[in-house]
Amino acid sequence: MRTPIAAFIVLSGILFSIGTVGVLVRRNALLIFMSVELQLNAVNIALVAFSRMRGSLDGQVLAFFSMVVAAAEVVVGLAIIVSVYRRRQSIDVDEARSLKW
Amino acid sequence: MVAGSAFELLWLVPALPLAGALVNLFFGRRLGKAAGALASALMAASFVMSAALVVKLLAIPSEDRLVVRHLFDWIQAGSFNVGVGLRLDALSAVMILVVTGIGTLIHVYANGYMAGDPRLGRFFAYLNLFVFFMLMLVLAQDLLLLYLGWEGVGLCSYLLIGFWFDKTENANAAKKAFVTTRIGDTAMMIGIVLIVTYLGSLDFDRILINPQLTKGAATAIALLLFAGAVGKSAQVPLHVWLPDAMAGPTPVSALIHAATMVTAGVYLLVRMHVFFEISGIALTVVLAIGLITALYAATCALGQDDIKRVLAYSTVSQLGYMFVAIGLRAYAAAMFMLVAHAFYKALMFLGAGSVMHGMHEETDMKKMGGLIGRMPVTGWTFVVGALALAGIPPLAGFFAKDQILEIANSTGRNLVYFLGSLGAFLSALYMGRLVFLTFFGKPRSEEAEHAHESASMMTIPLVVLAVGSALAGWLSLSPEGRMSTLLEPVVGDVPAGAAGMAAGTLVAVAVTLSVSALLTAWVVYASGKIDWIALRVRLAPVQRMFARGWYFDDIYSALLATPGKAVAAFTAYVVDLRVIDGAVNAIGTMVQRLAGSTRRVQTGLVRSYALAFLVGAVGIFIYVGVRF
Repeated sequence: MRTPIAAFIVLSGILFSIGTVGVLVRRNALLIFMSVELQLNAVNIALVAFSRMRGSLDGQVLAFFSMVVAAAEVVVGLAIIVSVYRRRQSIDVDEARSLKW
Repeated sequence: MVAGSAFELLWLVPALPLAGALVNLFFGRRLGKAAGALASALMAASFVMSAALVVKLLAIPSEDRLVVRHLFDWIQAGSFNVGVGLRLDALSAVMILVVTGIGTLIHVYANGYMAGDPRLGRFFAYLNLFVFFMLMLVLAQDLLLLYLGWEGVGLCSYLLIGFWFDKTENANAAKKAFVTTRIGDTAMMIGIVLIVTYLGSLDFDRILINPQLTKGAATAIALLLFAGAVGKSAQVPLHVWLPDAMAGPTPVSALIHAATMVTAGVYLLVRMHVFFEISGIALTVVLAIGLITALYAATCALGQDDIKRVLAYSTVSQLGYMFVAIGLRAYAAAMFMLVAHAFYKALMFLGAGSVMHGMHEETDMKKMGGLIGRMPVTGWTFVVGALALAGIPPLAGFFAKDQILEIANSTGRNLVYFLGSLGAFLSALYMGRLVFLTFFGKPRSEEAEHAHESASMMTIPLVVLAVGSALAGWLSLSPEGRMSTLLEPVVGDVPAGAAGMAAGTLVAVAVTLSVSALLTAWVVYASGKIDWIALRVRLAPVQRMFARGWYFDDIYSALLATPGKAVAAFTAYVVDLRVIDGAVNAIGTMVQRLAGSTRRVQTGLVRSYALAFLVGAVGIFIYVGVRF
């Protein structure tokens, strides 16, 4: 008895939405970052599920790629957040708004 | 064509002055007074070289008298070739002797005249460069090379007229000379292009021997080339630059604006006479322009008070006679007049320079008088030149003018003969006026009373030129004329005709006219019986018209310069400032306004960017979903 594909898609959709809301409502850069990770992993679930459905490994390979990219992105992103914190003693994204106009 | 080893050295004739020009251009300041000595020595060397080569040339039988030295290829484009080659035949031989011979004398004179000028090296560099270009012009084997020399002498003329450019009027005169001659030069360039189009070559060996041209094509080419000559040789209506060109140093006026460069137009027409002969009509145009110029400039010369401007208008008038000769197909007569004129006009210009030196740079004849006692060498040599120009036998000018009038008479052109004789009368009249006002009578100013003779460096060339002016008539003294025999292989026979009066009658008429004109001038200006200043006031309107050259300058400035300036002002201050700058500024302002209202989107708030990102992603998602 296999789990229907729709269940994975729904799970992926719920996780993606939680992540999206997190990005939009949170002001702490770290939490925004975590929400982005949540979105990425939601997509990974969807990719693996579709891969399973189609019986090809393409989706799983793509999921690995996205994990690698996510890891690299975390490295850069955390470094930026650390240096922003050192400079401003805060990682509230609403306060860091000098780059405008 | 004869190849002789000596003719291998032909390239040295123009190369020597070029070397002088380059040395003086780069090291002139360090050379100091030696600059003039170097330039003169190289000119003399070039003259000796020319004379030796011409002697060698004359040893060749007359029908083979043509030496062409090809130096190198210049332009090769398909079937069209332009080579740098030098051509020595009877015609160019006459020209190089005039250019280097009189050029040498003027160089020597300039050593005295320009002494003390801080830019001596530069002056002699330009003078040598001029001689180089002039020699290229007359020695060129190819019309394009001739044109190169033609433009080169124009450039040197510009540089030398404006040599004392710190005076605005000198700089303006230089500019005027350059721009005015450029009008003719442009026409000439078009003529050259037409020759290439019709004949496919510019090599004299190929275009001058029996060119296959229709009458119309030949007329177009001939008239365009003539337009170039009109500019260079200061004929009506492009003559206006020459009187103003007197702003340059006097040796320059003598060399460029009397003896050589202005006669380049005559040389060009004689060289290219084949086209004029095919056309026929073009010859009539040349004749008419020459005649009008000869008479017009003679009247202008009567009204001038500046000694150099009298000579300038006289040059224009004499050049007119040369064109009359060409119009009569008497090319040898034109060349003879060119040589004779080079002698006596260079002499008189140098004499005028000597007078200016003795008079502290005064050029107004009203302030001179009685100078013959204080400057005997200058004075008497000048008188020789003036008598030569006035046409008193046996001086050179008599033969030159008489030959032209005789041909006009014998070929039955009575109007040309009549107007030419009238011009000769006027020439003698203005020459008499010049001589009597300057050298005879009582001194009319402080400077004239204390005038002094110039140094021997300046007077020796005067004496040599005076001897030349007196004896140049020998060149055409024999019945056939030595000059015409010499030039016959190049230009053909002098047209003969049986019409008209006998030669003796013509001579008598010519001499009577000249003598009566000189007598008139003496009665009015030197006898003391007539108050010429009162006469001048009574004739003020005529005098003013002559003095201002029949208002040509005023007409040109009203018809050309004023509208030109108005158009320039309109484009500069209306089109450029309002329309073009306005359009650019309007676009800039528009972009700025647009950006001003939309830049508020950039809030700096990361979460609003994220929201926009989401909305955009959803939008694309929906769009893609709807399409498929």
